[in-house]
Amino acid sequence: MKDHEFDRILSSEGDLVPSSGFASAVMDAVRNEASAPPPIPFPWARALPGIAAGVVALVYLFIEAFRQAGSVPSAPTTLDKLSSSLAPAFHAAQAMGAGWILAALVLTYFCVKVSLFFSRDRV
Amino acid sequence: MSASDDQADVQKVLAGDVAAFENLVRRWQGPLVNLAYRFCRDRGRAEEMAQEAFLRAYRALGSWRKDAAFSTWLFALATNLYRSELRRIPPKMFAIEDVAEPGDPRIADPLKLAEDRDRAVRQAVFTLPPKYREALTLFYFHEMDVAAAARSLGLPEGTVKARLSRGRELLRSKLPQLLAELNWKEA
Repeated sequence: MKDHEFDRILSSEGDLVPSSGFASAVMDAVRNEASAPPPIPFPWARALPGIAAGVVALVYLFIEAFRQAGSVPSAPTTLDKLSSSLAPAFHAAQAMGAGWILAALVLTYFCVKVSLFFSRDRV
Repeated sequence: MSASDDQADVQKVLAGDVAAFENLVRRWQGPLVNLAYRFCRDRGRAEEMAQEAFLRAYRALGSWRKDAAFSTWLFALATNLYRSELRRIPPKMFAIEDVAEPGDPRIADPLKLAEDRDRAVRQAVFTLPPKYREALTLFYFHEMDVAAAARSLGLPEGTVKARLSRGRELLRSKLPQLLAELNWKEA
């Protein structure tokens, strides 16, 4: 088959007429789109302090891990001091058991309060 | 259908007059539905794809730079959507049995035979790999205008010409088998 035969066949397709309700259906979809509220943006301003704190903690952990991996003895760091001062508290809580339950309850309470605080304007 | 009408309606829509978009829909619904139909050969799906194309055009109207005609921008947007839609859910392939059985060629109506052969050729286009099928579809949709097909596909004209040539070659190699199955002999 020659090119001109392909051209004749493939270019001679009849036009399809859109169904009568097509334009109305499109406009309904467009109006829905136009009246829909804009998407809620991610609350970067509120999330940034947490993200920044997370990044700082990670960097700190990496630095500490590398320092621990090296065999050079170093002076006690702030983390060391903090963990040694918290150790008795952890031991006491471990001994009691109930301390953990209390800690979990307090944490849950704060989580709920913080969530409600952030979502109060959106409800 | 004039470019200035399109531009005026786009300005109105961008200024907040959503109803002005209906003028664009009424002006371009035919070409967009027809283009979609050439991609999928299914009227219902063609209208769904064309509706989605209009919706996307509405959302992206602000990104139309007036250096190209509105129709060029709209066809490129629609082509992009149709191609990705068909890659996501491929069109229903036509079985050879879908083409009417010609029966005894000596008694068959020659007009009917030619019609069936034309249909077989169009369906053979569907058996081509997507890049050749798309080039052929756009080329014939744009009334054999390579430049317009290239703009819709977002490809250089040379690439489109090469794909058209290769697409026709593939079509030519597939057709004898297709026509033989229909009891035809090429003239």
